[in-house]
Amino acid sequence: MSGVSTITFSVFLFFFLLVTILGFAAARWRRAKALDNLDEWGLGGRGFGTFIAWFLIGGDLYTAYTFVAVPALLYAGSSIGFFAVPYTIVVYPLIFLFLPRLWSVSHRHSYVTPADFVQGRYDSKPLALAVAITGILATMPYIALQLVGIEVVLQVMGIGTDSDNWFTKDLPLFIAFAVLAAYTYSSGLRAPALIAFVKDALIYIVIFVAIIYLPTQLGGWDNIFGTTMDSFDKFNSTNADAIASGAASPKGAIPPPLLHWAYASLALGSALALFMYPHSVTAVLSTRERSVIRRNAALLPAYSFLLGLLALLGFVAIAAGVQVTNPQQAVPQLFENEFPDWFAGVAFAAIVIGALVPAAIMSIAAANLWTRNIYKAFINRNATHAQEAQQAKVASLLVKFGALAFVLFVSTTYALDLQLLGGVWILQTFPAIVIGLYTRFFHRWALLAGWAVGMVYGTWTAYNNPKVGDPGSHFGSPLDPFLSVPWSDWLPFDTLMYIGFTALLLNLVVTTALSLVLRAMNVSAGVDQTHPDDYHADLGDEGVEEELNPEAPAHA
Amino acid sequence: MTDVSGRPEGGSSRGTWALIVLLLTPAVVVPLLVPLYDSEDPTLFGFPFYYWFQMALIPAAVVLTGLAYSLAKRADHRDREARRARRNGGRA
Repeated sequence: MSGVSTITFSVFLFFFLLVTILGFAAARWRRAKALDNLDEWGLGGRGFGTFIAWFLIGGDLYTAYTFVAVPALLYAGSSIGFFAVPYTIVVYPLIFLFLPRLWSVSHRHSYVTPADFVQGRYDSKPLALAVAITGILATMPYIALQLVGIEVVLQVMGIGTDSDNWFTKDLPLFIAFAVLAAYTYSSGLRAPALIAFVKDALIYIVIFVAIIYLPTQLGGWDNIFGTTMDSFDKFNSTNADAIASGAASPKGAIPPPLLHWAYASLALGSALALFMYPHSVTAVLSTRERSVIRRNAALLPAYSFLLGLLALLGFVAIAAGVQVTNPQQAVPQLFENEFPDWFAGVAFAAIVIGALVPAAIMSIAAANLWTRNIYKAFINRNATHAQEAQQAKVASLLVKFGALAFVLFVSTTYALDLQLLGGVWILQTFPAIVIGLYTRFFHRWALLAGWAVGMVYGTWTAYNNPKVGDPGSHFGSPLDPFLSVPWSDWLPFDTLMYIGFTALLLNLVVTTALSLVLRAMNVSAGVDQTHPDDYHADLGDEGVEEELNPEAPAHA
Repeated sequence: MTDVSGRPEGGSSRGTWALIVLLLTPAVVVPLLVPLYDSEDPTLFGFPFYYWFQMALIPAAVVLTGLAYSLAKRADHRDREARRARRNGGRA
């Protein structure tokens, strides 16, 4: 690869240095007396109010996920790639229904994390621990997806790719990663909050230019779709033998009947997973009053529209004749080919900064979970504020190193699979968290057993899924024949399904069955701290504070 | 705690909550019914049906969620008044 022009690289470097300085300077922004407590480091002093919900939830959509992972699927001719659109439609009505209840009960009882709620509702430390561990684990591949986004931009710019030595090759990624880790460590949530201004400005400029300017350069959308369909048809006819033998996947723009359930289960599974991630819960709980969540649920789908158009940049890249072996480079390569040099630099900076901000937020949310629900609950009950902040800082580093391990060891042909792997895990907390908001029918030990079954089934199945044309490889696909167990032959299903969704169904079956057994045996279900009225409390009600106080005892 | 028996969604607002769920259901279910829209025709502005239909679902979902929001706001208010009255009644 020849690399990019000096202008592109200079513009990119300018923005990267700008956010690095901002990241470290953020420690002084809205300066508190000291950064050595969790309140300041992990929640930015709780001074962000409603704004934080807007950029955290919106920021979940505009990450490397949108710019790199989703268009890559469409570019590669994966007919299920557009599932991100139904996913981001379905998620908001679900947020509308479920999350106000979580908001109310959390504000009444000072719960800061989903694990706090589970502890209060089910009176079970092991279950709360399982929820906390799942949140931390599931966040790692999501951060890894952001790192892949950074990696492909660096590759397209030709940085580090000249060498065969893996160390030199990955060095730029390590540098970007180390910078991110360093300013998150020193500034906490203030760093991504401040950088988010730059991120949002850059991303909106690039999005609007990309979806308006590019189609006019390429003969309009009908030409783009026409060229794409022709290229897929051509691929399918030249590779007919390989497709028939299973060594290659057929390309397509619309899912065939075999993949209908795959498409729907990916959309629904991702939607159910999104709002259980630690960073989403933090964002939602930080809103000022209950109705803010519902108002956001009605307003945020506007993002989905832009996401859909961005996804189609995968087809735009095909129509523009972009040729890359790694489909994730399609959109960065498209930008380099079609944009003037300086604007390509802006676009690359937008993608990289758009990956750094959520990576920082996610690692902080996971670190808060560690500190509150594992360190303070099990290891050091009498931890001082300074000890807590220190724990969270170190945990944020470990989570990021975990993410780096995913990038290095799990197949990153499709970065989206990383996010879907995280979804497989986080979905297993659905019965305890979301169903727990409505009923306490499920027994605490049954929930733990169902969670364990779902985790093991989901991880094992994903691990054993080879990439197409590469038998023996692992983590190759988020899809699997529905219930791939020996006794499933009699089921009237011959379809592919998102592993996370199948694992959740299995989880629910186990949880329900065991709940009935444990109730019949009169095994103690523990004491529920919450009262039905708690699920409707709003600002102004007795005991409901405007801001959650993370120092309040969780189980008061 | 003076009253633990009453369901919070009592009385007049229960119908409103049913209506809210009814409004939100299509926004969740329709995007998942792939056989409904897995065709190329009819195209619109060069977009195959499959693509423009899913994009069109977004504003449709916004309208439904927006309606549900305004209903929920009023129902929430009524429920709170009812809870408050019940609590005060219990105390008296």
